Amino acid sequence: MARAAIRRTRREFLKTSATLAAGAGAKLSFPAPALAQRPKLVYWCYQFLKASDEARATFAQEWAKKNNVDLQLTMVPWKEFMPKITAAIEAKATPDVVESGGVELRARGQLLDVTDLYKKAEKTYGGWVGPSSKIMLEPDGRVHTLLYGLQGFMMIARDDLLAQAGLKPPPATWVDLLAYAKKAQQPPKIFGIGQAISNQTDSQVWEDIMKSYGARLADEAGRRVILGDYKQQVWEFLDYFDAVWKSGVLPPGVTTWDNTMNNSTYQSGKVVFVFNPVTISLWLEANNPELLAKTGHYTYPSGPKGRIQPLTYGSRSIMKYTKVPDLAKQFLWDSMEPSKMDREMSVAQWGPVLNAYTSFDVWKKKPFMKSLIDMSLKGHPQGYPDAFNDAWQEQSTNTTISRMLQRIVVDSWSRDKAFAETLDVLSKIYAKYA
Amino acid sequence: MRESLGGMGLLAPTVLILLGLVLYPFCYAIWLAFSDKAVGSAGQWVGLRNFAYVIAWPQFSAAVFNTVVFTFSAVALKFVLGMSVALVLNQRIRGRNFFRAFLLLPWVMPAFVVYLVWRWLYDPLSGLINYALMDLGIIGSPIAFLSDRSTAMPSVIVAHVWRNFPLYAISFLAGMQTISQELYDSAQVDGASRVQQFRYITLPGLYHIIGVILLLTTIQTANAFEPVYLLTGGGPSDATMVYTMLVYVMGMVNLRLGEAAAVSTLFLPLLVGLVLVVTVLLQRKANA
Repeated sequence: MARAAIRRTRREFLKTSATLAAGAGAKLSFPAPALAQRPKLVYWCYQFLKASDEARATFAQEWAKKNNVDLQLTMVPWKEFMPKITAAIEAKATPDVVESGGVELRARGQLLDVTDLYKKAEKTYGGWVGPSSKIMLEPDGRVHTLLYGLQGFMMIARDDLLAQAGLKPPPATWVDLLAYAKKAQQPPKIFGIGQAISNQTDSQVWEDIMKSYGARLADEAGRRVILGDYKQQVWEFLDYFDAVWKSGVLPPGVTTWDNTMNNSTYQSGKVVFVFNPVTISLWLEANNPELLAKTGHYTYPSGPKGRIQPLTYGSRSIMKYTKVPDLAKQFLWDSMEPSKMDREMSVAQWGPVLNAYTSFDVWKKKPFMKSLIDMSLKGHPQGYPDAFNDAWQEQSTNTTISRMLQRIVVDSWSRDKAFAETLDVLSKIYAKYA
Repeated sequence: MRESLGGMGLLAPTVLILLGLVLYPFCYAIWLAFSDKAVGSAGQWVGLRNFAYVIAWPQFSAAVFNTVVFTFSAVALKFVLGMSVALVLNQRIRGRNFFRAFLLLPWVMPAFVVYLVWRWLYDPLSGLINYALMDLGIIGSPIAFLSDRSTAMPSVIVAHVWRNFPLYAISFLAGMQTISQELYDSAQVDGASRVQQFRYITLPGLYHIIGVILLLTTIQTANAFEPVYLLTGGGPSDATMVYTMLVYVMGMVNLRLGEAAAVSTLFLPLLVGLVLVVTVLLQRKANA
């Protein structure tokens, strides 16, 4: 039997539809405000060392769960951070909290003032360690980025090879280092010093050595280039560099090394000395404990005018465009809690930034980590004795001093010509920020 | 009238999108070059200051020279290699289809992987090339291919050519297959040699493809960034500093967008000139 067709008028159809829509809307209207009330936090996490990255990411996720926050976490490799944040700022789509890049972004007025958190941490956790305060405090006393770890290049050495050569580490001066390297190396299998002279920032070591010979780039205010007044010191440094270059202690290819090459060369047992953060040793701990056992960790050697041991850092900052400033500040504060930092520092390359962190077990358990306390206490802010400002930063990323050295050894320029070009480049860069 | 208005109405969205996607970024880049725009700042008009700054910058003249050398050498090598391989694969040889597919391998691999492999091949301490040369007794000590001024640029060019010549080969091969076999048969009957067949049949038959490929790849090669960035970073010294690398350093490393845009803008006439030269030469040849 055929079913009778159910016929509805247009009015009836609209009425039914409206009722259903209203009902559905009413039903959905209950959870909707709850979703809207859950705050969102976008966090760009510095990606560098797997275990450390995981520790920070795990903390962030647990923190978000505990505080009912909708966390959007992005791991950003160190090398990609500036291009990515540059694009984000230009597109006005920045994250709320960022790691890394604190100083660059601070100088460009992109960060929220966190002086209150700086003072609170100083009071609560027994004060800041080494040059941490100098790095964070701006001339007007404000703070826009909070350090969570100090990091610096250390002298990492094959103690076993030095012992075989009858040498007792560490070499006290740069001249001693060259003598040690010459005696302990076994070319072409093992070279003395695995140090880049390239257009990559690891070449910064040469500027540090030059400064330990007494030179500096700019005046106290960091505005006027005065390297020209230090020609004698630069020439002494170039004498030393010349001796290093001609002695054959540098592996072939250092003039185009990128920032990973000193790591991989040491890890494969092909050099006696490198200058790098302890990331090398953390890798060895997991992958080659035998080589780690033969490895020593030391602060830089000294030059005729003392030791220059610059420190970089890991930091967290809040972008000024954030819509959740209080939540972001809460996240920064909770991130600094000592028990959380204890877990994190046991798998990271960072030295302590707060006195409350110096009693962590990790510094006692691992001898190579112990050296991080020494480094944090004795280190200088980046650029020292120059002011760490935009101009210094630009000449540093431009690898100006390493380029001068390359002019001499790659392009066979005279010292005078290379030095004149360096002064010209420095003057051009500093003039932009004067 | 109504029909033409309707047509214009239908085209309007596409035209607007094209203007938005092409013209706006282009004009914005030109404006950047005349401003002191840095990351996060609005940027003020500074006239020609950025141009004066970058022209006086030590690496700029090296970047001009290196970009021209890199572009012409790489395009010429890719052309010769691509044509040679296409000629071979156009013959009836065993495994022809396999080799045609195999040919595309460098082209489909990610550039990042390709150039890291080449960096390892060139490595003086553990690279395969040095190992083989030393093992064969050809050299006594390793050669730092990427770190010596005389070998750095050729090494970068070789790696770039290896990755990119398959596009030429496949395009030329596709063009060769459209040329009638009868032309070759007639030429053979007339006693034409292989070289003469190539000169008077194959090459003229490929003019249009050659034109398009040269035009597109000249622009692509001049704008190549990955090989230099991943192999040498522009070094040693400024031996491989090409303009894209200089733009990257100024814009993304030093965050000076105005200066980076000025470098790009200065290279624009050079690139347009290159393209015009290639186009005019090919047009003349095709019309001859």
